[in-house]
Amino acid sequence: MKTRIAGGRVIDPAHGRDGIGDIWISDGRIIAAPPPGTTADATHDADGMIVMAGAIDIHSHIAGWNVNTARLLLPELHRAAAKRPAATPLSNAGWSTFATGCLYAQMGFTTVVEPAVSPHYALHAHLELADIPIIDKATLAVLGNDDFLLGLMRKRESASVIEDYVAWTLDATRSLGIKVVNAGGSLALKANVRQFSFDDVVPQYDVTSREIVKTLQRATHGLGVPHPLHVHCNNLGMAGSDATALTTIAAAEGLPLHLAHLQFYGYGQEGAHGFSSAAPRLAEAVNGAKSVTIDVGQVMFGQTVTISLDTLRQFNARRHARPRKWVILEDDSNGAGIVPYDYRASDFYNAVQWAVGLELFLLIDDPWRVFFTTDHPNGAPFTTYPEIFALLMDRDLRARQIAALPPDAMAVTTLPAITREYSLTEIATMTRAAPARLLGLADRGHLGAGAIGDVAVYADDRDRARMFRSAALVFKDGELVVRDGAVTGYRWGRALAVRPERDRAIDRRMTRYYEDRYGLSDTFLKVPDHAVGRPEPFELVRCAR
Amino acid sequence: MGRAWIGGKPAALERALAEAAGLLAASRCPLIAGLGTDVAGARAAIGLADRIGGVIDHMNSDALLRDLAVLREARMMVTTPNEARLRADTLLLVGPSLEKEAPDLSRWLGLGSSGKGDAATRRSLVRLCPGGAATIPGEKTVECDRDRLPAVLAALRARLAGRPVGKTRIPAKTIDEIATLLKAARFGVAVWSAVDLDALAIEMLCGIVADLNMETRFTAFAIPPGDNAIGVLQACGWMTGFPMRTCFGRGQPEHDPWRFDGARMIAAGEADCVVWISAYRAAAPRWTDGPPVIALTTGEAMPGRGPAVQIEVGRPGVDHDGVEQCPALGTLVAVAAARRSETTSVADAIGGIMAAMPGAQVAT
Repeated sequence: MKTRIAGGRVIDPAHGRDGIGDIWISDGRIIAAPPPGTTADATHDADGMIVMAGAIDIHSHIAGWNVNTARLLLPELHRAAAKRPAATPLSNAGWSTFATGCLYAQMGFTTVVEPAVSPHYALHAHLELADIPIIDKATLAVLGNDDFLLGLMRKRESASVIEDYVAWTLDATRSLGIKVVNAGGSLALKANVRQFSFDDVVPQYDVTSREIVKTLQRATHGLGVPHPLHVHCNNLGMAGSDATALTTIAAAEGLPLHLAHLQFYGYGQEGAHGFSSAAPRLAEAVNGAKSVTIDVGQVMFGQTVTISLDTLRQFNARRHARPRKWVILEDDSNGAGIVPYDYRASDFYNAVQWAVGLELFLLIDDPWRVFFTTDHPNGAPFTTYPEIFALLMDRDLRARQIAALPPDAMAVTTLPAITREYSLTEIATMTRAAPARLLGLADRGHLGAGAIGDVAVYADDRDRARMFRSAALVFKDGELVVRDGAVTGYRWGRALAVRPERDRAIDRRMTRYYEDRYGLSDTFLKVPDHAVGRPEPFELVRCAR
Repeated sequence: MGRAWIGGKPAALERALAEAAGLLAASRCPLIAGLGTDVAGARAAIGLADRIGGVIDHMNSDALLRDLAVLREARMMVTTPNEARLRADTLLLVGPSLEKEAPDLSRWLGLGSSGKGDAATRRSLVRLCPGGAATIPGEKTVECDRDRLPAVLAALRARLAGRPVGKTRIPAKTIDEIATLLKAARFGVAVWSAVDLDALAIEMLCGIVADLNMETRFTAFAIPPGDNAIGVLQACGWMTGFPMRTCFGRGQPEHDPWRFDGARMIAAGEADCVVWISAYRAAAPRWTDGPPVIALTTGEAMPGRGPAVQIEVGRPGVDHDGVEQCPALGTLVAVAAARRSETTSVADAIGGIMAAMPGAQVAT
């Protein structure tokens, strides 16, 4: 089965390509253009269209206990808006796994990473991911508030034991990488600590947040896990949190480190409200720290819900809940907090947040190191991505929106003065080529021969939001799944995971630990293939070591 | 394979599946209830409801939805039994049914563990309305009728806030002593079962927990209702966005705790066919009269008039592998078959019914 996407403008930054041409797919993979005269089994005319690899979202809360609890907390938020044809199962559920896969595919996304899975909840997360159709998925396992790791650190155990534990966690939870969320902060909150910074000591464990981050950074790097440690810093959302972000960036010390949703740390304390944009400072630091990557966590106005494993932050944010209800979970693993929030264009603070995100996008000069996220749904739902692409690509559109926002908010940001506009190549870099490289997915994010046949085709349109909202054609593994913005092909994707080598002594140690501490077998947190209930639910990603 | 009955008489499984499919195809308002099953069974049941425009409900929805009502109308601090055992220096146990609803409660919480100087022996234990439950050495017990609990909780919350209270049947001094104990907690955990409390009382208790967090640390957990109610809830949540008592009759999931209460629908004559699922034990519906029942249950043929169709299903974690909620950890876990058998699972039985129904379908 040979498929030809003919005559589109092919934008493939991984190969420096931007020009009119064909893309050929055979047996689910992109192939080099066959000799002239070869006939395709299916030809799709892409004249006047933009052809890119399928997009990759590195940080979007789409599955697991936290997301599901947010659904149950907010039944009023997701009533099915309008009936759609019942061609696919559960197609009319408002906020379901089924809708998630369809909505992503319609925008040309083919791989999405759920970045916050507490190890004890890994099976739950994978069950939800398995019910997200069309796209491929992955999880990041969260360590750094767990008794076992901090216990190892307290006892000054060797780096190789810690690497073994990280490798064991990745294998047990079938994850693609490791994230740390407010390292030590959830444990500190259990001891009634209400503010916790990078050099503070975790009560009872005698280790600092910095030591946890550095330990996990080195372990992830040492194991050859492609994705660097994914860090959710301390002090999220607070005025003056720019200092925390700057300290954490400096702590990368030349080793790879990814900082998540940097926008939420882009707040200085200047101005009449003691709240201002620190985006220029942060962007300058990121520009100078070549081993550091970030994603933005853009805020867009509207009702949403914040879903986070940062229990300390969510505990402190609970009094700002809109509407006024919330859930804080403190469990054996990492904990979580769900706090609904309504970002208002008329609100000074929310308007500053909106501007800070855009400033970071526009002031960080290397699109290979800044990633496109809204921290879905924390800054905004992922369905707002098309509007954000449009804002990045059009300074006039930005100017019109800035004019409608509180002037005192815009006055404490530099956004009105920024003229940069993203090119389509930069958009493709940020959403395709760079994420694939960041996650170690060699056969994704590009259109070279051998790549997975994940392709998004958009009708070129001056209205970039409309263009990116509904792809003209989307192929997943070479199969046509979306046409004219509607799902036409239904299939089940895989979850991508790494499995670095480890000394199996750690397995026996983990068995003993769970028996001693919980009176339970450690099998409970393992994710067996059969439990996921689909054929070949996982795909192994190679590690460097 | 397992046994099957049509009209109480043994029948081949294939015939029973076809008979069930025919009943459902003819039904205008099918109800899928009981729903005591693993995650795979719940997924299949919800897929069936989506296909036939039915209602899904769980046999323990009453208690489950009382807890959920507080979650989605107020707020909740929650923890797991296991974390409570490891960390809590103060426990507030509320209601007479805790041990009945959670026979392992004592083990979960490390109650009465022999003195090795561990946290459990230095704990403050407060028990409101223990009913007939055995007391634990060292606990402070406040006897009251279950229907007085809301008033006692209200008085306690008021005293914690330093407000005066009118007379309850409990001495003011006792209420104040408890308030002092709770305030002295470094990490306290409140425990209740929604079997004992109405939603307003649960909200009051969760309000006490929230108020205590102004100064110290306190959290809580509800005893999960049985028959994997939470596991089914999770699957229902991610598949539909809603808890059980959700209907697919109008093409999209609609949730209404009153309208889609299975027992009410039967009493009102709204449902005209029932799929009754009970894979953990051979529980029967609470109602005796009503429309034809397709029962997917463990064990023998039901007595009496019996279901129109009955299919024996295996028990998750006994006859076949499954995924269910583990109450001690508060998370979904894979359970391997303890005595693997060929008895069909709920998921496979529903798959068989759907395969026997007319019309094309896309599998969930």
